[in-house]
Amino acid sequence: MANIRDQQLGTSPRKQDAHTGLTRRDVLAGAAVATGVVTVAGGSSPANARPDPNLREDMVAFVLLSWALTGIAPDSLAPTFGRPPPPPNTDLLALNPGTDPIDIKTDYFKWITAQQPVTFERLLKIVKDNRTSPTLAATIMQKVQADPDTTFLARSIVLLWYLGSWYDPQDLKTASPKGAFIPSRVVSAKTYTQGWIWRIAQAHPMGYSELQFGYWSRPPVDPNGKPPLAFLTDKLS
Amino acid sequence: MAYDISIDFDVAIVGSGFAGAVIAYELAKKNKKVVILEAGAGIPSDINKYMQRFYTSRAKVPESPYTPALFAENDQLQDPKSQLQDPKDLSAGRPTVLTLSAQKWKDEHQSYLIQKGPQPFASTYDRVAGGTSHWLGTCLRFVPSDFQMQTLYGESVKEFVNWPIKYDDLNDAYGKAEKELGVSADVTDQAYLGIHFPDKYSYPMPRIPESRTDTLIRDALSNLSPNETSFLGMKDPITRIGIRALPAARNSQPYGNRRACAGNTNCIPICPIQAKYDPTITLNDALNTGFVTFMDRTVASEIIVDTARQSDGTQNVTKIKFIKYDNSDTGKRIATGTVTAKIFVIAANAIETPRLLLMSKNEGRTVNGVANSSDKVGRNLMDHPYYVAWGLLPQTDDLRKRAFPYRGPLITSGIEDLCDGPFRSKRGAFRVDIGNEGWNFVVAGGQFGADPAITTIDFVNGMNGSGLNKAQPGEALLGVDLAKRLNDLISRQFRIGFLVEQTPDPENRVTLSDAKDGLDLFRPAITYKLSGYTRQGIVAAYRMKNLLFQKLGADDFTMVQGDDPARFEEQIDGNPVALTYTGAGHIMGTYRMGTDPKSSVVDDFQRAHDHKNLFLVGSGVFPTGATANPTLTIVALCLRTAEHILTEDFKMPK
Repeated sequence: MANIRDQQLGTSPRKQDAHTGLTRRDVLAGAAVATGVVTVAGGSSPANARPDPNLREDMVAFVLLSWALTGIAPDSLAPTFGRPPPPPNTDLLALNPGTDPIDIKTDYFKWITAQQPVTFERLLKIVKDNRTSPTLAATIMQKVQADPDTTFLARSIVLLWYLGSWYDPQDLKTASPKGAFIPSRVVSAKTYTQGWIWRIAQAHPMGYSELQFGYWSRPPVDPNGKPPLAFLTDKLS
Repeated sequence: MAYDISIDFDVAIVGSGFAGAVIAYELAKKNKKVVILEAGAGIPSDINKYMQRFYTSRAKVPESPYTPALFAENDQLQDPKSQLQDPKDLSAGRPTVLTLSAQKWKDEHQSYLIQKGPQPFASTYDRVAGGTSHWLGTCLRFVPSDFQMQTLYGESVKEFVNWPIKYDDLNDAYGKAEKELGVSADVTDQAYLGIHFPDKYSYPMPRIPESRTDTLIRDALSNLSPNETSFLGMKDPITRIGIRALPAARNSQPYGNRRACAGNTNCIPICPIQAKYDPTITLNDALNTGFVTFMDRTVASEIIVDTARQSDGTQNVTKIKFIKYDNSDTGKRIATGTVTAKIFVIAANAIETPRLLLMSKNEGRTVNGVANSSDKVGRNLMDHPYYVAWGLLPQTDDLRKRAFPYRGPLITSGIEDLCDGPFRSKRGAFRVDIGNEGWNFVVAGGQFGADPAITTIDFVNGMNGSGLNKAQPGEALLGVDLAKRLNDLISRQFRIGFLVEQTPDPENRVTLSDAKDGLDLFRPAITYKLSGYTRQGIVAAYRMKNLLFQKLGADDFTMVQGDDPARFEEQIDGNPVALTYTGAGHIMGTYRMGTDPKSSVVDDFQRAHDHKNLFLVGSGVFPTGATANPTLTIVALCLRTAEHILTEDFKMPK
């Protein structure tokens, strides 16, 4: 398996308040001076800094990226995303990235950062640079696929959201188109039970049903009475 | 530091699966002091450990939740090339479906069973709580003909023998077994091919409702022409083939302090809410009597028989030697010991029981093994070779016409009415499972992993492992298009499986290999092949699959891998067709019951002919294998045996 570095999961940058106005780069630069060690993965230049799950703009960009790639509405991927709504014409990156007790987005953000910090930063930059596009999802998909590195990391990210498992971009890149065994890793029991493929199939994770006896005799219905697959959208509401 | 243990009980039982747990409980209820020797690790206090292991396993196979860990350092790759723990190091090894690949099935450093071929034995078992930890819950009764195969079909199939009991001898015990396990089914639905019930009998709970796939298959087979079904060789022309709710030890209502099924679609390997009965339930009941001692990580290594003879010339068993190992998969011996008892019960499944009997040589006094004057121990190994087929229903916006898999119990209905008829003098019978888990374990013949992952990867990464991404080059989708495509395809996936009757063949057998396990005990070797009769049963299954798929308008995605060790070819309508089978997990036949000590190992109460205080229980006693899943019959036989031990050996009133 290529380059699994889960030991880095526990070494995310120290927490910072997204509301202080200090940018991550200010803080990291200060830390580097203080310790005399530059710890940023992927190089020593601040331009190569790691994405930071505690930075509002990074997390919002990640949720928007995930929405464009998976087709699943941002507030389904990240419950309460966008609430309260910002005033008209406010920057998308000022949205609330969402808080929920499961908070799978943070698990994935940290995991991806630990695997591919540089390419991940590029993906987030695509979102940030194009955030005023009227067709944001389509634009993100198009820009992401303009380059093999971003293309295959994007696919890994889709598989992460769908299956709760990590498939390394390099393994996806080299896999035989006829079908091949691709090594993978279940990120955690939580990510397995949060895999979106089960909801896309209008089912539930095997071994993790929250439904009631006998439901299987009827075609699936949404528990909240919404139309099937209402969580799929390519538009920001 | 090794130390010796000597213990004494009324009854010593080897194995804590269905058979062992049921007998322990029945005897303990009558205040008999029982010890159970269990080779595997103990039962955890709750099933969370099993669930966590399952959720995080990349290879979600029947053995994943249980111990010993399949992979060293918990590195659960499903890559056919990745290495499992070497069974030579394991104190209580076990077979796993991950060692049935072309690369591994004959590799003694990967496969616990030493497979001598010519074909692979494809069933597996677990250690903790028996081989049936990962069962599905199916509780079919045998049909009356299944007990009378020699009488009915023996003229043309010489291998068939009769059971020493008939259906009516088990009718009451079946009812008791259904109560103990908590079976959901309807009497009217289950009265077919001669199955009958005592007056006013009812199952403990109503039947489990059918799935969407069940309904579609019911409709598809409701109007057939006799020509279309003539290949079945039934007595009368068939113009419809019904489906029946599968009787299952799965709660349709709260029962036995357990919840009703919530449709977790995970009966195999583990129900997260224990709505499905498993052997730990009876085992806990047995332990709660206060009369049962449970010794885990304790491997029985030899059955010792008396040097003196009884008045009838037989020799009793005096003790069982055992080895205790420490708290790890590759545990070293920490003690050896012996248990003495009045009655000994070996309930270690149809591979481990003959292994123990054959290992027990008594310093040359029983050089062919214990209970083996007939030379039948280890012979006539049977399974229900399992032929699976998978397809895709037509595209439709009508939600009622889509299968919607991954919902409900793994199987809710089956086709049972085709498992007995005149054809049985020519070919193996089959019964049909209708799967509710889509292409989960069948996709691409299992070579790349499981679904829904494989289909998902195909459309994310432009590949075609599933067979569904046919464009050249394969489509790689993102966003809403991707999700909608996956919804459309996955919701139309279905699979069926055929459990095929296997003839008893004395050359299909368990022997001792030269390879050892971590406790220096010889591992089982298996010689195995399918007879022409059994292969013709699979051919009939193949034809039945074609009929069903045609009636459903389904596209057939069934494939046989070129290097599948179970692959074989048959001429069908003048063309060679590649077929294969996997295991049903129904290990049977290796210490058959019968009336004649020269041709059988135990009598109809599962008492060894050679040793009157030794009982060999479980599906190893089945003289023929029928098509029904064996568990209910195992439990019925064991309830009957427990009562017999109490009245005959302990002289207790009925």
